[in-house]
Amino acid sequence: MPKLIIDNQEIDVQPGTKVIDAAEQLGIMIPRFCYHPALGSVGACRVCAVKFLQGPFKGVQMSCMIDAKDGMVVSTTDEEAVDFRKYVIEWLMLHHPHDCPVCDEGGHCLLQDMTVAGGHGLRRYQGKKRTHHDQHLGPLVQHEMNRCIQCYRCSRFYQKFSGYRDLGVLQIGERVYFGRYQAGTLESPFSGNLIDICPTGVYTDKPSRFIGRRWDYERTPSLCINCSLGCHTVVSTRYREIVRQEARFSEAVNGHFICDRGRYGFFYASQEKRPRYAQINGNEVSWEKSIQTARDQLNRISQESGPGAVASVGSVRSSLETQAALSRLCQKKGWQGPVYWIDHGQEMNVKTAAAELADELAVSLRDVEQADYILAVGADPVNEAPMLVLALRQAQRMGAKVCFLDPRPIGLPFSFQHISVAPQAMDLILAHLLKETIDQDTIKGLEPHEKKIFDAIPNNSHLVSSNQKLLNAVANDIRLSQRLVIVCGTDVVSETIPERAAYFARLLAKMGKQVGLFYLLPGANAFGAALLSDDAPTFGRILDEIEAGLVRALVLVENDPYGYYPDRPRLERVLQQLDLLLVMDYLDVRTIQDADVFLPTLTLYEAGGFFVNQEGRIQKASIAYQGGHPISQFSNGNHPPRSFRNQIPGKEAQPAWQALIELANENSATPKQGVRADILAWLVKTHPLFSKLPPDNAFPSDGIRINPGKDIHFRSAADRLVVPTLASESADQMELITVDWTFGTEELSTRSPHLRKMESKPCVFMHSNDAAQLDISEGDKVAVRSDTGIVSIHVTITDNMAPGVLIIPRHQRLDWQHLGASKITVSKDQIRKIREEEPC
Amino acid sequence: MNQELTTEEKAALKSIAKNLETFNKQRGNLIPILQMVQEHLAYLPSEALRMVAEYLEINACEVYGVATFYNQFRFHPPGKHPVKVCLGTACHVRAGDIILENFERKLGIEDGETTADREFSIERVACVGCCALAPVAIIGETVHGHMAPSKVEGLLMRIEIEKDIAKREKEKSESEQT
Ligand code: SF4
Ligand code: SF4
Ligand code: FES
Ligand code: FES
Repeated sequence: MPKLIIDNQEIDVQPGTKVIDAAEQLGIMIPRFCYHPALGSVGACRVCAVKFLQGPFKGVQMSCMIDAKDGMVVSTTDEEAVDFRKYVIEWLMLHHPHDCPVCDEGGHCLLQDMTVAGGHGLRRYQGKKRTHHDQHLGPLVQHEMNRCIQCYRCSRFYQKFSGYRDLGVLQIGERVYFGRYQAGTLESPFSGNLIDICPTGVYTDKPSRFIGRRWDYERTPSLCINCSLGCHTVVSTRYREIVRQEARFSEAVNGHFICDRGRYGFFYASQEKRPRYAQINGNEVSWEKSIQTARDQLNRISQESGPGAVASVGSVRSSLETQAALSRLCQKKGWQGPVYWIDHGQEMNVKTAAAELADELAVSLRDVEQADYILAVGADPVNEAPMLVLALRQAQRMGAKVCFLDPRPIGLPFSFQHISVAPQAMDLILAHLLKETIDQDTIKGLEPHEKKIFDAIPNNSHLVSSNQKLLNAVANDIRLSQRLVIVCGTDVVSETIPERAAYFARLLAKMGKQVGLFYLLPGANAFGAALLSDDAPTFGRILDEIEAGLVRALVLVENDPYGYYPDRPRLERVLQQLDLLLVMDYLDVRTIQDADVFLPTLTLYEAGGFFVNQEGRIQKASIAYQGGHPISQFSNGNHPPRSFRNQIPGKEAQPAWQALIELANENSATPKQGVRADILAWLVKTHPLFSKLPPDNAFPSDGIRINPGKDIHFRSAADRLVVPTLASESADQMELITVDWTFGTEELSTRSPHLRKMESKPCVFMHSNDAAQLDISEGDKVAVRSDTGIVSIHVTITDNMAPGVLIIPRHQRLDWQHLGASKITVSKDQIRKIREEEPC
Repeated sequence: MNQELTTEEKAALKSIAKNLETFNKQRGNLIPILQMVQEHLAYLPSEALRMVAEYLEINACEVYGVATFYNQFRFHPPGKHPVKVCLGTACHVRAGDIILENFERKLGIEDGETTADREFSIERVACVGCCALAPVAIIGETVHGHMAPSKVEGLLMRIEIEKDIAKREKEKSESEQT
């Protein structure tokens, strides 16, 4: 390991470490503009100059370009180097406008810091500055090109690092310009990172433009809960609302970046429509009264009809504390539940995933970057877990091959293989790939029950033969790979896939390969929910029991079945039949209208909490601010916003776990302090998996990973994997699946006014062959008739999806809940072209 | 930044489309393709850039980025009277930039652009080899030495007048013929 001396301090570093990073490890921050640990060095800005006194290099050199070597003696404070840097700053500032006062970067601007630190407080240049036109880059990123200092970070991030091409470097010399060919919304769902990485104010955060300076904000480490990856963020709060969210570095999860869904997905917390007062039958009442009423009624119902007459539904977006409190409440009272999933198939998939994700197979998002082959099954990263795209891209840049087995029109900013087959056929193809890849020795060494699964894979089918060439190539690549990651979705896949993917991974590991398994789950805390809902009833059964009069009270904790249950008319009908509907939420969900009792709860920004991401990593979000209406909603537009009151309006809401514990206690005197610790203590006691949970003040920033592995069996059907389902293909049947979209389907981010501007219109995707057969052209409107209703929707025709499949994003502006189920089969005559104005 | 294409140019685009087919769809062919387009049109209008982007299946941003990197590519049609203002060392010292600025202001376009009627285009050049006459401007083929801001308007006016005379003479000869 190279040992060198920087500013008289000795340090040992890993081989390949740049001098600039070695210095940073010593706490010496050498100025930099173009260097970024994720983007590497290019030596473009010259501001990281230091003086090499001894060793292989001599004199003033760029510390970002030189690897640390044994025997180097480096000075960052040498007069010559300091002088050099000073002039660099001066020439970078030649064309830079004097607009710090009106620049949103001011206060956290690297250029500003360096200019002041470099002593270039007064300009000597008297000439005319070159100026540029700015471009409109969409609703998220503000462009102000005159401030550019040509560090190339933006184009390197946008094109090289993430693979999107619509923004880049144009022109040459003095006219160098960073932007698009023509003004227009940036195509990359990672565009917000430009704001974080640009060292000056060329790209600034548009939604929070001119709201405040960095030092006005309270900054708190937080998490993104807009998908299951759980990226690390830092939120900036001012006047009781989140103003801005940025990426927070995480070694294990998201690295330096986050996606736009996450970055701008926090606005639900300060929505004007957010319910902040407890209600009984739609009338505002005090929190205590609501709790009291709910408690009395729940007790009465469970006395009259037994505790089984009360059922509860929890949420995959709730914190672990809330989930645990709900489990505890149900246990104590003997209620049914908690149920977390509206869709039973999805529930089984998630639970399988949680159970199969053994410690030795689980990999983090950053580990995915190290793979040399990635097989993704039933996963659509851009739409389900955006940051996975960047991880795949890094692997691909290092030479990894990426193959997708998925019916959807997968779009990625790099080249990959795509085996597009109908959802029903995926298991068969996956099983076939497995059979082709595993070598004889491994098969011989299999345990009998594993051997049985292997032997049950049918030899060939027309599905395989029609994809033969591609499958052979993929199988060959898998055999040759050393570090393999299997990515597996849990949304559109059939129930055998998560298990088959794990089986595949185990067998490959037996072959001596380094194998990782990476599941995608629906919801930020779906993993926690899977661990805390062992033998819960299904949502469908609860509805049946309500209809049969067996269940009389339903408790919905931060879960809105209207968003997920695919048969809206039935749901409306059934909820009417309840004696008591108790709803707790921090969103303006539809069920509040039906609720007998409503309790407002707090978001993760106000309550903090643990969330378990899709790899079983428990992570912690801190409390960013104390709830209540944002001041801006009370200050009549005054600047600065002021309102004088002796208490905070709308501050009644409590964390959902607080409400649950108050319901569990028999009297109203539940303390407000110490409840959370209590719940966690209960969790540690009842669930051995959580016994490692460190105390709050010693919680590692990358969280801790819990993987139940084989010890926990969620499911009994051990032999279910034996025969892969064969697709029952009929020429006029089509499989219809509902899917996630980056923007427009996820519950929290669709409440962001800025992301709404990014949404595409709802549509149904159809393969061009099917469209031709049905005589449908791009943009036509069709009515899809199911057993329970009709959905009318515009058609998008594409070739890179499986034929015989209809794909409908669960868009918030589309009443897809009339389809009856999240996956259905329709015959072609159930799809009818309609004229635009025709009502359906 | 774009001007309406003339009918000839629209026709040329068609033959460009045909010519494109002779190139392999490789990024490496971008520059030869751009050269081919410029040979046909004398500049690269945005319609052509988009065509190239579409053909090579790359983003227009990349095409434009490469094209603007090289001095050989132009993005405005050449004017009938190209104005070249020298900013070489001698002319720079004798305030060639003021001359450039005057042309830009009078014509309402910037260096590198072409007037909407395609009469004039402005370009800055480095030394044209007659430093003794600095500052120098060249309009069409004619070299104008010892330029001064006050001469700019005169020169442009002269071209207008010459154009008027030519027009009148043409009308006269036409009416004589009929
Ligand atoms: S726009 Fe910002 S990130 Fe891009 S080159 Fe200029 S200063 Fe660097
Ligand atoms: S990838 Fe998922 S967790 Fe990460 S920022 Fe985006 S939405 Fe949030
Ligand atoms: S940081 Fe080293 S040259 Fe820019
Ligand atoms: S510098 Fe202008 S002619 Fe030589």
